[in-house]
Amino acid sequence: MLKKLILLTAIAVLIFPLIGNFSRVKAKDMPDVVYTDQDYSRLHTVIQHVENVLHYGHGYNSETSLLPDAINTLNGEPAKWVFPNRAEVPYADLANQQNFMRTLVALSMVTGSEKYKNEAISILDEFLTNYQATSGLMYWGGHRAINLDTLEVQSTENEDGPHELKNMMPYYELMFEVNEAATIKFIRQLWTAHFRWGTADLNRHGSYGTAFDANVFGQPLIDDVIKMDNDGLPIIPKDAPGDLPFVNAATDLAYAAFTLSHLLGDPAPKAWAEYLMRQYHLASHPITGMTVYQYKSTMVSKSPSECAIPSYTNSGCGDRVARQFRDFGPIARESSVQWKNTQAIYVDNTLMLLEAADKYDIDYYVDWVRGYLEGYLDYTYIRIEGKNKIIPMFYDGTVTYGYTVPEVGYYGPSNMRLGYVDMPTTYLLPILRTILATEEAIDKVKLWNYFRDIVYTFGMGDVGPLGGNHPALNYDTAIDDPFALMAMIELYEDTANPAYLEVARTIANNIVRERFHRGFFVQNEIMLYSRLDQPETLALLILDGVIRGYSSSEMPYYLADSGYIHGYLLSNDGVVEDRSYTQTVIYVKTIYDWE
Amino acid sequence: MKKLFFLFLMMTLVLALFACDGESSSVTSQTTAQPTSSSISTGSELSESEIYALLVEAEELSGMQSYNGKLISESGDLHLPSSYRGVTIIYSSRNEDVISNDGYVTLPDECWIESREQDGITPKPGLNDNWPIVVDVKLTYGNQERSAKLMFIVVPADGFTCDKYKG
Repeated sequence: MLKKLILLTAIAVLIFPLIGNFSRVKAKDMPDVVYTDQDYSRLHTVIQHVENVLHYGHGYNSETSLLPDAINTLNGEPAKWVFPNRAEVPYADLANQQNFMRTLVALSMVTGSEKYKNEAISILDEFLTNYQATSGLMYWGGHRAINLDTLEVQSTENEDGPHELKNMMPYYELMFEVNEAATIKFIRQLWTAHFRWGTADLNRHGSYGTAFDANVFGQPLIDDVIKMDNDGLPIIPKDAPGDLPFVNAATDLAYAAFTLSHLLGDPAPKAWAEYLMRQYHLASHPITGMTVYQYKSTMVSKSPSECAIPSYTNSGCGDRVARQFRDFGPIARESSVQWKNTQAIYVDNTLMLLEAADKYDIDYYVDWVRGYLEGYLDYTYIRIEGKNKIIPMFYDGTVTYGYTVPEVGYYGPSNMRLGYVDMPTTYLLPILRTILATEEAIDKVKLWNYFRDIVYTFGMGDVGPLGGNHPALNYDTAIDDPFALMAMIELYEDTANPAYLEVARTIANNIVRERFHRGFFVQNEIMLYSRLDQPETLALLILDGVIRGYSSSEMPYYLADSGYIHGYLLSNDGVVEDRSYTQTVIYVKTIYDWE
Repeated sequence: MKKLFFLFLMMTLVLALFACDGESSSVTSQTTAQPTSSSISTGSELSESEIYALLVEAEELSGMQSYNGKLISESGDLHLPSSYRGVTIIYSSRNEDVISNDGYVTLPDECWIESREQDGITPKPGLNDNWPIVVDVKLTYGNQERSAKLMFIVVPADGFTCDKYKG
């Protein structure tokens, strides 16, 4: 009898912890959730938005299924790029529409209607069939788009704008489903056009004229270009021939290569992606843990007389931080800056690495990104007047807060004083996903404590001690942010605690109330354009799917919304010719500008 | 027999409770940052979330934040708060030569950064004399901790030098 009792007790010891853990990670075992009228009301707004985008987008030119990047919410017309010669061009840049493609697929999942996914397939089919250069690159990205009047390829950077993807993370799974050959050819050429195999130089700009190389990933791996000095610190080479390995371009290269390996079962692209990401890791600061935007500086190729002019910021004059911030000595390098482009480093790249760790079994990426984020938050995170802020500094911890720049340069005008940098809500996801991907509880503690502070400071209440199983959330939070929403959804899935779902619903309601106007999702009520790449609709649909019993991992996944166009245009004053971005010229327009 | 069955039932219940809270309990055993409300050494009845709110309040209302960005132009004790409603506050300066861990300021006898124009020759005097000093803060209540940071701006002492150009 006693033996039986011991056996039963042993079984209980083994089984109950398993049940306890199992219930936190398996979406299918989440508690049943009642789908409410309010849930449907939110879904209805997404449907309205999508239907309006399709109606007005397709209505502009019946000869194409392509959609404009953004729609004027007052008259349904496409956003237009105004060139210096006053030509107004409605544009479709598929690199900037990837979240809309994901929205369409997600909408089909939650409604059960294939109509929306078929729309995405139709759009991508036309694009992949007609707008792939002979070399394999697609006509999209930072400097190329499709003119929706003529259906011709348009360059915004002189006549022959280069190929550029920076944190655009295309929806390759769907592209592969639509046109496998074109997608494979594109990914291969992405590397051929942007990466220099012998030196690991990387250029965010790729030429459409570069010949296609079918065996591109067959190149032998080279030695790491980052070496250490006698103190164990990374030596950042100064030999890049005008090609700067910006991490936002590298993130797209690596993501594409990981995806290709996964789709084809070919390990070579993955090996190169790992090589590329390793250079950034090696260039990271070994003591602080903070990491880098680039692992090389350019060599000096311009004349001393040209480079003597501070306002001449061409990278041919060498490292632009070394020029403008030379007062700080050798630490002043572009690679070590921690107050600019940090979204690309600590958000976009981190999300991609975590995705790769999860999908493609590169477990050590979780340790890497945890080290980066812990270092960054340890050194820079500060709460100022109830706001989440970043203290500007170099990656060795040298503070630059309060520094007044003596002269103009790449990083700003003379007498510019460096202040705190806002920490946006986008940081919630990489921090949370890193915590969730970390296996050992003890390794989660530091990031969780920062996450707890950051969430609290954003006004969502207290997620409680590690694990988040006992939160004291603010159910009336006013935050209306898709990243906060996705964070609450992922916490709900991890803990099965309905408190997170309740807050997620509150945030989702806030998003609808504050951002759904005139039948479209916009940044706020007065903004003129509804941007297809906005993450709000995808976040709302992920919530809807989770309420219906889907796991968020089954749904199209949020990775980035960094799409933009860069080039020559006419300023909004109608007089000044400028070189700028859609984000700073077009998507800042309000309904009052239009009237 | 009934006793044995009762004993087994109790063990099952206890084990189930442990299993439900497996993650947080395992962390509590390895760190000191996650106490349960019953383990607070001060004997307070505050819950974990209430303690957390108190730790945030200590950062915001103890007076320490009034120093953020404030120009400090005299040597001497800052009288930083060391406690607030039962919260213990400990400071750790990233530059102890200028601000010690107990909040004593020694005005530096040189400028923070000697600035020059990009020719590396033409001086830009007075541009970056004041020192930004980060002080890390640890707030503790019972076994529960929070961290924070403060930013002080310290003016160099009268007659300071500025002749160590790094560029």
